[in-house]
Amino acid sequence: MSTSRISRRGFLAGSAALGVTGVLSGCVGGGSSDDDGDTADTSSTEAPSDASGPVVLQSSLSDPDPKAALESVLNGYTEGDVTLNTVAIENYRAQLPTYLSSSEPPDVLTWYAGSVARDYASKGLLLDLSELWEGDGACAGFSEALRSLSSADDGTQIFVPTNYYWWGIFYRKSAFEEWGVEPAESWDDFLALCENLQQQGVTPLTMGTGATPWVSSGWFDYLNLRVNGPEFHRALLAGEHSFDSSEVRAVLDEYAKIVPFIDPNGRSYSWQDAVTPLVQKEAAMYLIGAFITQTVPEEDVDDIDFFRVPIIDSSLPVGEEAPTDGFFAAANSTRPEGAKALLSHLAQPDSQQQFIEESGSSNLPTSSEVDTSGFSPLVQKGIQHLEETDEITQFFNRDSSDELQTTADTALTRFLDNPDDVDAILADWQSAAERVFEG
Amino acid sequence: MSSTATVSGQETTGPPRRRPAAAVRRVPRVVWLFLLIPLAIELAWVFWPAINSFSLSFTRWSGVGAAENVGLDNYRNLLDDPIFRTAAKNTVIWTIGFGGLSVLIGLALAVTLNRPRRGVGIYRSAIYLPMVFSLVVTGLFWRVLYQPDGAVNSTLEAIGLDGVSRQWLADPDTALYAVLVAAVWRQVGYIMVLYLAGLKGVDPSLEEAAAVDGASAWQRFRYVVFPQLRGVNTVVFAVTVIDSLRTFDIVWAMTRGGPYDSSQLLSTYMFQQGFTLVNLGYGSAIAVVIFLLAIGFIITYLVRATRED
Repeated sequence: MSTSRISRRGFLAGSAALGVTGVLSGCVGGGSSDDDGDTADTSSTEAPSDASGPVVLQSSLSDPDPKAALESVLNGYTEGDVTLNTVAIENYRAQLPTYLSSSEPPDVLTWYAGSVARDYASKGLLLDLSELWEGDGACAGFSEALRSLSSADDGTQIFVPTNYYWWGIFYRKSAFEEWGVEPAESWDDFLALCENLQQQGVTPLTMGTGATPWVSSGWFDYLNLRVNGPEFHRALLAGEHSFDSSEVRAVLDEYAKIVPFIDPNGRSYSWQDAVTPLVQKEAAMYLIGAFITQTVPEEDVDDIDFFRVPIIDSSLPVGEEAPTDGFFAAANSTRPEGAKALLSHLAQPDSQQQFIEESGSSNLPTSSEVDTSGFSPLVQKGIQHLEETDEITQFFNRDSSDELQTTADTALTRFLDNPDDVDAILADWQSAAERVFEG
Repeated sequence: MSSTATVSGQETTGPPRRRPAAAVRRVPRVVWLFLLIPLAIELAWVFWPAINSFSLSFTRWSGVGAAENVGLDNYRNLLDDPIFRTAAKNTVIWTIGFGGLSVLIGLALAVTLNRPRRGVGIYRSAIYLPMVFSLVVTGLFWRVLYQPDGAVNSTLEAIGLDGVSRQWLADPDTALYAVLVAAVWRQVGYIMVLYLAGLKGVDPSLEEAAAVDGASAWQRFRYVVFPQLRGVNTVVFAVTVIDSLRTFDIVWAMTRGGPYDSSQLLSTYMFQQGFTLVNLGYGSAIAVVIFLLAIGFIITYLVRATRED
């Protein structure tokens, strides 16, 4: 009784406090609305001075090398000031919807091309960047594949891709020489190669699915591309096919053939930890993205090579994973012109080259004008690898959603532990996926 | 606090009694200010968001655009969600395991280390030491121990228990318990210190008298010492229940609820849904369930505590 009194009193005080906040923000909004009326309905602050203020670039590149590389690319930007905010990737992922939908969003943001960007575009949160893709715009010379990847459902372009990377089966050249083996061309050769390595006492495949269970989707994606083809793969991830189907079962049948060759300790490792056995020549091969070179000791990087995941059904177009990174701009940006100018700068061949070289990654430039002759032989091979490819996919989560990725993580790590339990795993996967698509 | 509350109640109902009214006049305005400001902040930053999460739990919202009202759908989905059921079961196992083990071991250590002996201070500090690490650091530290070729497995192999060694955190049968051991390892020192403080208040002459009367060590502890620890027990019980219900960081740091959701707690599942996948409605529904559980515990506890007093 008596305590309820104090809380009612406090409640009034609390609502008064909220009211004060409202009044304050009202003042700010009022300040901006009397300039020339065009920003009257937004609550943005000080519209005129702000529109010419520094462009805000929100970045998820928090690893030291890529961060420093982006900073130095921005230092070369002369057309205005840029404020760079770097946020750790986990937080960034969670906050991104909030950034984009806030009334005063960061102008330019790092993120991924493909269905993730398309989803935001369909909600009206991304700035139309079509003008950069036309005439002498910064992205006009990019490939058709990149253009369609960067387009929203309505055909406008909403993304500026600046680099991408490839996936492949990575190995150490010197180790393969020691063991007297060659990269495999066909799927049967590959299985024979694994068998051979295992008899020599080498773990054929390493894969860190402990802290990073998404790595297990690499083999799933590739085997689906090889067994059912890119078209089915995309449709499956878009929810048009069931995971509990004979096609997906066929994928897991192939997957089950390599499970005995995968390092069982990988279940406790992250993808970075799983690189160590490869470097120490205890494990032979690793299906992973080109970012693997960041974790290989510098003196061993030149010894790293890769080969294509072997073809299983030669009648299907060859699909490869090539996740594309880049930038988009917020639709609510108060400085759309500044944002586009900055995006143009980031898309320039020089900027791309500078970023790739300084970030120490093995990423590929999206602009064909970048002089790639100075890049390492590995990267040259990666460029050629993707040029020979018929169709490009992104990766499980980028082709679907992070939420569907968690269903894949559960299903596939469970499958790696119990490859015989396919029926129950696929049934559960499908019902989990249905919840995602309904939600 | 309670006196001011009574006073303010008296003030508005306008009772004829004089004294409380005089007391109101004696409370300086600045004190009211000091009370009201934190209260306003608490309401705006704690209660208001909490109420919001109740209303969010009836919607479907990804943080973008308008929230779509779905009524009780989120709660209905919770009932059908196998991961939620695992998480709920694990939370019960966790509360019992974490509470039971840390209290039992903490009490045993406190009783053992209560008597002055040479080097007892070193033992006490060594056991308390893990408490100074944050849960995340504890988690990372134990993850290294649990690695396939880490200290736990090599110790087991060294003493000839090769068959027992396994991938503790990657095995769905052991992951939750492996995390539980790490959490208890850290909590034990804290409980021990609380009990050590309690044991200082135990009258040693009673125990001596019981010994003279021929009571065994167990009887002396059970019937003489333990009843005198009632006050500390209350504190320990509250601390333990609260700590086990809010457990999140150590599980997240060690397994992220994996492998395949086998070590998911309600708190980690809520975080995953709400903040990794940005299903704010569904995450809020889980948060509401956690809230109801916690409130249930606290009310039962408060009712019992007030009744005993």
